[in-house]
Amino acid sequence: MSDQPAFAVTTGVRRRAAGQAAAAQPERRLRGVPVRRTAGRVVEIVLLTAVALLVVSPIYWTIVTSLRTPAQSFSNPPAWIPTHPLWSNYSAVFTNVPFWDFLLNSFLVTGCIVVGQMITCCLSGYAFARLRFRGREPIFWAVLATMMVPIQATIIPVFLLVKEFGLFNSRTGLILPVVATAFGTFLMRQYFLQMPKELGEAATVDGANQWQVFYRIYARLAGPPLATLAVLAFAAYWNEFFRPLIFLSTPTKFTLPLGLVTLQGYLGTGSVSVVLAGVVLSLIPTLIVFLLAQRRLVEGLTFGSVKG
Amino acid sequence: MALALPRRHARTAGAKTGTDLHRRREARFAWLLILPTILGVGLFTAVPIVGSFVLSLFNYSIISPTKWVGLANYGALLHDSSAQHAFVVTIILTVGIAIAQVVVGLALAVAVQRRTSWARSVFRAAFFVPLLVSGASVSIVMSYIFDSQFGVLNYYLGLIGLPQVSWLDSTWGAIFTVMIVVTWQQLGFTFIVFSAALGAVPRELTEAARVDGAGGWRVFRTITVPMISPSILFTVTVGVINQLQLFDQPYVLTHGGPGNATQTVVLDIYEQAFQNLRFGYASAISVILFIVVLVATFLQFRISRRWVFYS
Amino acid sequence: MQTTRSEDHERLISRRCFLVGASAAAGLASLGLAGCATDRSPNSLVIAVNGTQAAAAAIKQAVGIPFLAKHPKVQLSIMAINGTDWDDYFAKVLTLIAGGLAPDLTTVATEGLQLFASKGIAQPLNDYVMRDKASLRGYFADVHPVLVESMMYQGDLYVLPTDFNCGNMFFDTVLLDKAGASYPADNWTRDDFYNLADKWATTQGAVAWDWVVRLWGSWTSWMYANNANLLTEGRWPGGSWMWDTFYAGDPAAQGRKGGWHWGAPTANEPAVVDALQYMIDLKNARLSAPPDVGGGGTLQGLFASNHIAMTIGGGFWAGGLHAAGMTPHQYDVQYFPAWSVQKHLLGDAGYAMLRTSPVKEIAWEFMKSLTEPDALGALIAGNTSTPTRRSMMTASRYAPTGPAHWPVFYGTLDKFPNTTPIPAPPYYQELATAFAARTTQAMAAGSAKPALDGLQGDLESFVSAAAT
Repeated sequence: MSDQPAFAVTTGVRRRAAGQAAAAQPERRLRGVPVRRTAGRVVEIVLLTAVALLVVSPIYWTIVTSLRTPAQSFSNPPAWIPTHPLWSNYSAVFTNVPFWDFLLNSFLVTGCIVVGQMITCCLSGYAFARLRFRGREPIFWAVLATMMVPIQATIIPVFLLVKEFGLFNSRTGLILPVVATAFGTFLMRQYFLQMPKELGEAATVDGANQWQVFYRIYARLAGPPLATLAVLAFAAYWNEFFRPLIFLSTPTKFTLPLGLVTLQGYLGTGSVSVVLAGVVLSLIPTLIVFLLAQRRLVEGLTFGSVKG
Repeated sequence: MALALPRRHARTAGAKTGTDLHRRREARFAWLLILPTILGVGLFTAVPIVGSFVLSLFNYSIISPTKWVGLANYGALLHDSSAQHAFVVTIILTVGIAIAQVVVGLALAVAVQRRTSWARSVFRAAFFVPLLVSGASVSIVMSYIFDSQFGVLNYYLGLIGLPQVSWLDSTWGAIFTVMIVVTWQQLGFTFIVFSAALGAVPRELTEAARVDGAGGWRVFRTITVPMISPSILFTVTVGVINQLQLFDQPYVLTHGGPGNATQTVVLDIYEQAFQNLRFGYASAISVILFIVVLVATFLQFRISRRWVFYS
Repeated sequence: MQTTRSEDHERLISRRCFLVGASAAAGLASLGLAGCATDRSPNSLVIAVNGTQAAAAAIKQAVGIPFLAKHPKVQLSIMAINGTDWDDYFAKVLTLIAGGLAPDLTTVATEGLQLFASKGIAQPLNDYVMRDKASLRGYFADVHPVLVESMMYQGDLYVLPTDFNCGNMFFDTVLLDKAGASYPADNWTRDDFYNLADKWATTQGAVAWDWVVRLWGSWTSWMYANNANLLTEGRWPGGSWMWDTFYAGDPAAQGRKGGWHWGAPTANEPAVVDALQYMIDLKNARLSAPPDVGGGGTLQGLFASNHIAMTIGGGFWAGGLHAAGMTPHQYDVQYFPAWSVQKHLLGDAGYAMLRTSPVKEIAWEFMKSLTEPDALGALIAGNTSTPTRRSMMTASRYAPTGPAHWPVFYGTLDKFPNTTPIPAPPYYQELATAFAARTTQAMAAGSAKPALDGLQGDLESFVSAAAT
C-alpha cells in the first residue's frame, strides 16, 4: 500500500502547528497540568467506570442470583447485595454433575484447540501476509470462504466425516477438525500486514533466509496477536455447545457446556440458581486464562529502533 | 537489531536466476507454512461445505428415502417469503451490530489504553467478561433483565421517568434487544483486537506528531486509525461474517419472535433441517447465505483499498 | 461401568472411505447412499434418555443392574441427552440415526410420537404386548387408557408411557391470602377466573395471570376449554386388541380406538380466535403480563418469587417450584376452569423402540423394566414429572414438594373423560414453530384474528406438503 498517509501527516501537522503556535493563548494550569486536561481525564474515567459497571452488571446479577434461591432473585428493586449467600447452590453443582470430569475435558479439548490454532495460524497468517506465491489471494479467499457457512448446515457431513475417521465420541474428534481455522489465519494475516516490511527487508539484506526472517523477527513480534487469538479462541471453544452435543455420547467425555445444560433438569425443572452457579464456575477458568494472557496483550511493541 | 548470519552464495549469482530461485524458495516455504491450515480447513470445513451444497439438490430427511430434485429447492426459495424476510432481518441486525461493535469497541479500547496499567487490567477484564460466558447460559439473565413487566431495565427506566419499553414483545423492541445483547456480548472481541492493535502502534509516530503540536483527535484520526486500519478491516469483516450467521441469541432469547421479527437466516436453516426435516432445503438456504456473505466480504475488501493502510 | 458402542482406542483413518474421494464421499454419504457400514456389536443395547446424567445413573441403578444380572451378555449403554428443549434432543437423535448409530430405545413424547410412527422409525409393539400380556396386566391396570391411546397411531401401540402432564391451573397461595381470595371449587368457570384475577388488578409488583408461548402451557388450554382445537379431532380405527385385552369393562376405555387422528386445520374458527383474543384482552385489562417467550424459565422464576397469581402448570412444576425455592404450601393446583366445557390438554412420554434395532427382544425386556415403579420413580425423582401409574400417586410422594391438592394431577384423567392430548400430528415440529410465531405476532399486534388466519394458512400448507 502507498506511503502517502505518513508523509501527509508529518507535513500537514507541521504546518498546522506553526499556525497554532501563532495563535496560542495562555492556558489555566493546576499543578503544572492544564485544568482542562485534568477535568477531561476525570470525566473520561467516570464515563469509563460507568460503562464498565453497566457491562459487568448482568454478570454480577448472575453471580448474585447463584447465591440465592430463584424465589429471591426476581424482585424489583433488584437486591444487588446477597445477604445470606447460599453456597449450597455451588455444592449442588458438584453433586448433580461430575463437574471435575467436565472441567478436565473442557481444559483438554479447549487447550489443545487453542495451542493447535496458535501454531497453524501463525504460520499460515505470516505466509499469506508476507510471502509471495502463486495463487496466494485465491487460496486465502477460499480459506476465508469456509467461515461463511454456518455449522448448523454442515454438522451432518462433518459428523459423518468424523465418524468415518473413527473419531466419533472422542475428544480428538472435537479437536482435530478445528485445529486449523480461517478466523485465526485471517487475524494473524492482518497483524502481520500491520508490521513494517522494512524489518524483513533489513534482515534479508543481512543474509537471513526465509525461515530466519519469520522465526527470528516476525514471530517474535506476534506476541500480542497470538495472545489475542488464544484468548478469543479459548472463550469461543470453552463455551461451545452444539458440536459436543452431537459428537459426544459418553457422559465421562462431556465438556462443561453439556454439563451445565444438564443442570436445567428434566423439562426445565432444575433450579435456575444452580444453573447460574454452574455458569459462574465455568466462567472462572476462562477469566484466569484471560488474566494470564492479558500481560502479553498489554506489552506494546515499538518497531522504530529496528531501523538502525 | 543486526543479525550476524553467514552470507549466502546464491546472492552473488546472476540477477535473473537469483530472483527466480529466490521466488521459488519463497513459494516453497510459503506452501510449507500454509499446509496445515489448508489440510485442516480443506478436509474438515471445505469438504463438508461441498457436501452440504450437494445436499441442496436433493430432498433429504434422514428418515425417508432421498430424492433428487435438482434446482427445485431453489425454486421453492423464490416463493418462500418467510425465508426472504429472514434475510432482511439478518441484514438489519448485521449492520446494526457491526457498527455498534466496532464503534464502541474502538472507543473503549482507546479510552482504556490511556489509563495506568493496573486500571487498564481492570477495565480490560470488565469489558472482556461478557465474551467469556456462553450466549445460551446468559439468556435466562437477559430474559429477566429485558422482561417488559418485571424486568430490571424497565424498572430503572421507570425510576428515572422514561417510558416502559416492550423489549421482547414488540417487533422493533425485539430487534433492538437482540442487537443490544449481541453487541454486549461481542464487545470483548472488537475491544481486545483493537487493544492489541493500539499497543502495536509505534510510539515514535504518535510522540512525533504531538511534539509537532497535533491535538489528540488529530493524532488519532491521521496516525492511529491508519496504523490500525488492518485490524478495523478485520473486525468489521469478521463481525459481518459472524452476524450474518447469527443464531444463538435469537434462538434462546426470542425464538425468532415476536412473529418472525428476529427470525434470522441460520435460525431458519436450523428449523428447516432439524425440526421440519428438510435438510436439502436447509442446504439450499445456506448456499444462498454463503453467496451473500461472500459478496459482502468481497465488497468490504474492495472498499478497504481506499482506507486501509498496510506498512 | 458404561461401555460405548465405538471402540475406545480411536482409529485414525478409515482408509476405505478416505480413498473414495472425500468430497464425493461426504456429499453422498450424507445422503445415505454410499454409507460405510456401521459397526455395532451384536449384544450392545443403547438407550437414549432425554434427561440428566443423574436420571441416567438412577435408571442404570434401578433398572440396568438387575437387568444385566438376568442378561449378563448384554453391553448396556445409557446415553443421557440433555438439551435446552426437545429440539436439541431431537437434533442429536436424528444425527445419530443419520450416522448409522441409532440407539435401540429412545425417549419419545406426544410431540414426536406420530412423526416416529408415520415415518416408520418406531417399532409397533402390538405383538410384544400381546405375547407378554400376563406380565403387563398390572401395568395397564395402573395406567389410565387415555395415556395409552395417545401413544397409539393407526391402531398400533408404539410406546409404554412412563410420565405425563396435564394443563392444570397453579396458584400462588401467598398472593391468594393477601388478596383475601379462596381456593376455587373443582367446577369453577372462566367468569370465576376473571373475578379472581380482578383481585390483583391494583397489586403492585404482582400480576394476576401469565403464561409461556408453547403449545403446552399457553392459551391452548383456554382453547380446549372453549371446546375447540387447532386441528380437527378424530380417531384412527383399530385398537380393539388393546381395549378388549386390558381394559375390558373399564368405562374409561369406552369409545377408544387406534390413536388420535389430527385432521383438517381449524385454527381460525371463532372459538379458537376467542381463546387467543382472551389473552390479549387480559393483557389490555392489565390482568396479565406479556407471556414468556423463552422456555418457561422466566415464568417459573417469576411465579416462584410471588409475582404471578395464576398460571398453567403440570405435575412437573411440583419439582420445578420446589427446586426454585418455594415451600410446599406456597402454591397449589386446581383443575382448569370451564368455559363452554371443562376440558384439559395433556402430554405424555415414554420409550419407543427403533425399527433399526438389531436387538429388539432385549430392548423389549428393558422397555418393560422401565415401566416398573422403581424405574419410574428414578426417572421422575423429585417430582420432575407425573407418573403414569396411578398407584404411585401418594401423599408421601408429594409431601416434600407439595402441592396440597396433588390428587388433581391424576384426577384430571379419572374425573374428566374428555382430557385430550395436545394436537401432535406427524408434522408437529412445523406446527409448533408456526404456532409460536403466530402467537407472538398476535400479542404484539394486539389482535388474534389476522394472526390465526395466518396460522390456518401455515397449517394448510403443512397438510398439503405432508400429503405429497
